[in-house]
Amino acid sequence: MTVVAAFLVPGSPLPYVRRDNPPWGALADAMGKAGKALANAQPDTLVVYSTQWIAVLDQLWQTRPHLVDVHVDENWHEYGELPFDITIDTELAEAAVAATNEAGIKSKGVDYDKFPIDTGTIVAAKFLNPDNALPLVITSNNVYHDWQMTETLGRVAAEQAEALGRKIAVVGVGGLSGSYYRHNIDIAKDSIASATEDEWNRRILSLMEQGDLAELLEQCPAYAAEARVDMGFKHLAFLLGALGGQFSGATIHGYGPLHGAGGAVVEFQL
Amino acid sequence: MNNGQIIAGYLAPHPPHLVYGENPEQNEARSQGGWEQLRWAYERARRSLEEQKPDVLLVHSPHWITQQGHHFLGVPHLSGKSVDPIFPNLFRYAFELDVDIELAEACCDMAADMGLTTKMMRNPKFRVDYGTITTLHMIRPQWDIPVVGISANNSPYYLTTEEGLEEMDVLGKATRKAIEATGRRAVLLASNTLCHLHFSEEPVPPEDMAQEHPHDYAGYLWDMRIIDLLRQGKTREVFDILPQFIDEAFAEVKSGAFTWMFSAMGYPEIPAELHGYGTVIGTGNAVMEWDLIKAGLASAAAGGNL
Repeated sequence: MTVVAAFLVPGSPLPYVRRDNPPWGALADAMGKAGKALANAQPDTLVVYSTQWIAVLDQLWQTRPHLVDVHVDENWHEYGELPFDITIDTELAEAAVAATNEAGIKSKGVDYDKFPIDTGTIVAAKFLNPDNALPLVITSNNVYHDWQMTETLGRVAAEQAEALGRKIAVVGVGGLSGSYYRHNIDIAKDSIASATEDEWNRRILSLMEQGDLAELLEQCPAYAAEARVDMGFKHLAFLLGALGGQFSGATIHGYGPLHGAGGAVVEFQL
Repeated sequence: MNNGQIIAGYLAPHPPHLVYGENPEQNEARSQGGWEQLRWAYERARRSLEEQKPDVLLVHSPHWITQQGHHFLGVPHLSGKSVDPIFPNLFRYAFELDVDIELAEACCDMAADMGLTTKMMRNPKFRVDYGTITTLHMIRPQWDIPVVGISANNSPYYLTTEEGLEEMDVLGKATRKAIEATGRRAVLLASNTLCHLHFSEEPVPPEDMAQEHPHDYAGYLWDMRIIDLLRQGKTREVFDILPQFIDEAFAEVKSGAFTWMFSAMGYPEIPAELHGYGTVIGTGNAVMEWDLIKAGLASAAAGGNL
């Protein structure tokens, strides 16, 4: 089996930089559980799709072999830096670039010193691959790509991994409901900003737990629109593409607020 | 000090292609030129700025996006390499800039007093966005004037356009009060493109001007309509139709810089100087100036050229 693990995780830096805050610490603990599950699955490579790596012209794939730097989040800069050390599985990344081009989605690799790695990718890597033990393939969220194109990206990445004999863990990095508190709050009392969106999040997570893929897919468009879901929930589309549209259930390691928005750590059962 | 004033405002768009086309030593990428009409427009704007002799440049950039409040650069000296995440092949720029902390803090405090959520950015490892850097490089490549960098709170996208731009209006008024209170002679830079639909593929080489033209005729017509009104000084009419322009031309002025600048200047009904217009990967860009000294709305510097 090529895909040995699959996760949906939030890209907010808050659980990492303010683990001491109970609502966010709970999500950090959940990320820790997901990290252990990922390690137990013994993948060769993590394939990461992050909603926060915004692309416009092409589908971008990171092809620089080693990324070491310090990132400061554009919004949460007061909570400190995000140093990172990420190794890229360049062979798989280059194969994905070629294959997605062949699939009709114009793609290219990026290999530049100081290229800005997005917060979501860094946070996912720090929680799920804390010692940089495994190489990553990182790809972008082209804002003009729809659900189907994003599914294709996930499928092609998994196919190329199979062709190269890689076992991969697939990670979709992004949030759930998108309403958030625009103003300063008592962060210890953080909560989902909208009760309706909270209900939506719980309904969707329940469908994942049950493995009710048909109903999940049926509900996703309305969920994305009515709960202002991060980037139309395309991070799930990427995961489903890589999984061939199949999973049997899911473990919700954590669900909670991120300054009003929804975030969940989900491990899919394959 | 309480006699500060805004002496000019510029519409100063930030396509990184302009820096790439100019080949400054700070940028790694090399070109054979390109986008000359816009680069020469900036050369004319640079000459105006030189005459205006500002103490500080304030820039509002749509590529420093914040969700919780309006943020201000708050580190005295920032440096590093800024790589454009969309056009890394064109823009890999070693920047170094000085921040007018006193004014930035005054803007932050004043905007908070007027009801906005605000925050100072104090982290010295912060990477300044390419929009801020491109606008500043193109208007003043010497980098010898302190700056105040202001984020684009995403309220026009999260709320309605009108609600979001109301916040930018308040931010502009707060900026003006802060400038007056700190005694600065300030120039405002609205880092915005006009029509913003663009091509999805880049020519080879990117500076092949045979491939450069407006993305669509409707967007071009909108840009000409807006520029014509601004050249006539019909500011109120522009703001009356701004939401329609934003909707129909996908105009980047939605992000707030244009409204912030005009609000700070008091929405003057004075003719703009058009330094030049051109497209970049199909988007419409105008370099325009509102000289409040020439309009009699601000005073020239002591020993100035006017």
